[in-house]
Amino acid sequence: MTFLSGFNKIARGLIFAGIGLGLGIGLAAIVTIVIGNPVREMDEEAAITIGYVLALVGWLLGVGGWEAWGKEWLGGEPQNTAPHNWKRFLSFSMDHKVIGVQYLVTFMLLFLLAGLFAVLVRIELLTPEGSTVFGPDGYNTTMGLHGIIMIAVAVATIMGGFGNFVLPIMIGARDVAFPRINALSYWIVPPVAILLVLSPIFGGWDAGWTAYPPLSVINANGQLLFLLAFITFGLSSILGGLNFIVTTVKMRAPGMTWGRLPITAWAIFAAALISLTATQVVAFGLLAVVLDRVAGLAFFDASRGGGALLYEHVFWFYSHPAVYVMILPALGIELEIISHFSRKPVFAYKWVVGSFMLIAGLSMIVWAHHLFTSGMADYLHLPFMVVTELISIPTGAVFLSALGTMWMGRLWLRTPMLFALGVVFNFLIGGITGIFLADVATDVQLQDTYFVVAHFHYTMMGGEIFVIFAALYYWFPKVTGRMYSETLGRIHFAGMFLLYNFTFLAMFWVGMKGMNRRVTEYPDAFQMGNIVVSIAAFLLAAAFLPFVYNFVKSWIFGPKAADNPWQARTLEWQTTSPPPEENFERQPVIVGDPYGYGEQDNVHVRFQPAGASHEADEAPGIGEVGENRGEQ
Amino acid sequence: MNQHVKWHLLFVLAIWAVLTLVGYLIVMLIDPFPVAASEEAVVVDEAFTLLTLMSVPVFTFVVSVLLYSAFRFRIRSAAPSGDGPSIRYVAPVVIGWFVITSALTGVMIVHPGITGLNEIRHMAEEPVDMVIELEGRRFFWNVHYTQQGVTSFTELVLPIDAHVHFRITSHDVLHSFWIPAFRVKIDAVPGSWTTINATPNEFGTFEEDANFRVQCAELCGAGHASMAIPVRVVSQQEFDEWIGEQTTVGLAR
Repeated sequence: MTFLSGFNKIARGLIFAGIGLGLGIGLAAIVTIVIGNPVREMDEEAAITIGYVLALVGWLLGVGGWEAWGKEWLGGEPQNTAPHNWKRFLSFSMDHKVIGVQYLVTFMLLFLLAGLFAVLVRIELLTPEGSTVFGPDGYNTTMGLHGIIMIAVAVATIMGGFGNFVLPIMIGARDVAFPRINALSYWIVPPVAILLVLSPIFGGWDAGWTAYPPLSVINANGQLLFLLAFITFGLSSILGGLNFIVTTVKMRAPGMTWGRLPITAWAIFAAALISLTATQVVAFGLLAVVLDRVAGLAFFDASRGGGALLYEHVFWFYSHPAVYVMILPALGIELEIISHFSRKPVFAYKWVVGSFMLIAGLSMIVWAHHLFTSGMADYLHLPFMVVTELISIPTGAVFLSALGTMWMGRLWLRTPMLFALGVVFNFLIGGITGIFLADVATDVQLQDTYFVVAHFHYTMMGGEIFVIFAALYYWFPKVTGRMYSETLGRIHFAGMFLLYNFTFLAMFWVGMKGMNRRVTEYPDAFQMGNIVVSIAAFLLAAAFLPFVYNFVKSWIFGPKAADNPWQARTLEWQTTSPPPEENFERQPVIVGDPYGYGEQDNVHVRFQPAGASHEADEAPGIGEVGENRGEQ
Repeated sequence: MNQHVKWHLLFVLAIWAVLTLVGYLIVMLIDPFPVAASEEAVVVDEAFTLLTLMSVPVFTFVVSVLLYSAFRFRIRSAAPSGDGPSIRYVAPVVIGWFVITSALTGVMIVHPGITGLNEIRHMAEEPVDMVIELEGRRFFWNVHYTQQGVTSFTELVLPIDAHVHFRITSHDVLHSFWIPAFRVKIDAVPGSWTTINATPNEFGTFEEDANFRVQCAELCGAGHASMAIPVRVVSQQEFDEWIGEQTTVGLAR
């Protein structure tokens, strides 16, 4: 009973969702009866849409929104009902660390699920005929699910997971600015996963994760579930972005000036700016597709005054910046780890910060490089090519910083550092191959081939997902209070790094030779290349087994971790592992730079004596020797 | 400059030189391209080659510093016993880096970037020998030879050295017209016409090389992968004969 009681709120959420769904379907039925059924399948789609919206509201209230908000609306006091044992991870907890763990666990499970989808896709592609595993519709749905779930993983693990767990502690805050909204932004996510997993039952969707109309307007109901899921996930991203921006601006500890902000915090801040603004644009685009389907509007129907190209612009206006929502925090964490494990300050810190902000800005005006072959006006090719290639300058600054930080350092090659170094190699290939896609002449050939697939896997997986693993190993002792097995970590790194490169280098080759993406069948000439890619991909999937075993076992049975096993200087390592409820026993006061390695007198943080007021007095000047330099 | 640093730099330069040499050898030995059978393909492949040549030293430089640092500066003890030197900023290195990366970016924007774009535009402006309209439908291509009044659903036959102007549209959803051997690709958009030009300059058939095909390159649903028809480049005489064998019908809409 006590075990099951942990699921009380989730059960209530499901019941409320069921009630909401019923109400919504009823409402849709009434509407359809009143105004008739003027467009294709409107009754079904309206029932799904309205039913889902009310089910989502029911779910959020049931799972804990009622105590957090509902009671307040009726004149009561909002309550924090989160329990203190393991059950807090199943609750509407407002503790940013609990929410961070909720994000991390949820999205690691989704990562493994979407990885299995990739394996299915690669089995299908072993033969050129198609329909080895499933028919073309099943293939398209599986491929699309792999794509969209991995996109969600890439955004939410780094922002929702690490952003939540690490950012407030790193800047010396007790929590994020809006804890209730933070809990909301996580609990919006399970319905997204449920919609996506259910979508095959509703006929799946064959338009890929990009969901271009008119196809996405006329295909099976599964597409509607995809669209609703994407919009819902976007809402979560917008709320998360808002929270991180306000937290970084308003909640920094005394003395944490912008110039002392850890590079990770800067990177998350830059990404949050994109997340808050650009996501709203794609939400509109997807909503317009929903309205075309459900209400028979014609945003994208050329025969009724709409335009198919409109969607591509709106979609990429968000979805290109979105890759920087993924990669900017990743590059920040990469430099963070390289600094601590090289025992040297982040090289050219200010230039990197400037580059992050410049990338965030430039990312908003490059979207149409996805449209070089779309038939958009010819004169647009040149400006979009130029701004896209300009991004390589601020991106290059990240490499300068990584190499400059390592140079002459004392490199401690533990698992997090190995992953971070792997990222320098992978992301270099990702960046360089991006040039070939930014160049109009070469893009005309390479667009929509496996070259593109390999390129974005080099940036998103080789760059960002590798950083996610670096970060998982790096912060594992802080999050769980236990230590993972270093040997298994290294095996995981070696296997993943080698097999990953094998898989996707071969994919470049297949793409250059003329194989297009998103296909079940292909000319026989490409079979050998596809077999190589597939076998490498199967082995790559197996390379994650040591990781799963290591993390599950270490979380339960691992040896207790020290507070600062990496001898790192940033704030999260100066508190206990795991940190107490409000992060610090005593109020931290920032007195110096977080990266002052090799500088005798440079202290990052001092803690006020117990009982002192939270409001810091005059922050002591830099150079004063503090008594508290972490563990060592 | 400290003597150690000098040696470190020399070693890195040596590794860089060796890796770059190896890189160029690999680039020379392999042929990454599918068959090139049009004048447009030359522009694309030249741009690709040029970008590759520019990328090799950049790639090998970063890899050299990375590998050298990872091996030479690693510690062997269980935990670090002290910090590295506090090097936060070295003005000549940082400024030099930005100058060089900006210069490289500027070069590739101008050439092959803008020059390649202009070359393609220039080729498109040359007098056209033939206009062919293609309409994408789920899941086939409707090829219409406008001057000859001939329609084909099964293959695209082109006379060699003819400058062909393709007009592309779609009946239903987005498709994309792509002939890998010609390096030309343009989307088929319902409700509008997109255009692209190609000048085939090599004989070839789909049976000899799969890159002689019109492949739909924009996901259009279940039949997307099989939405392809063979391309055949023939002599003018063979082309005329083939046209003669076709029934003359209008583009079915």
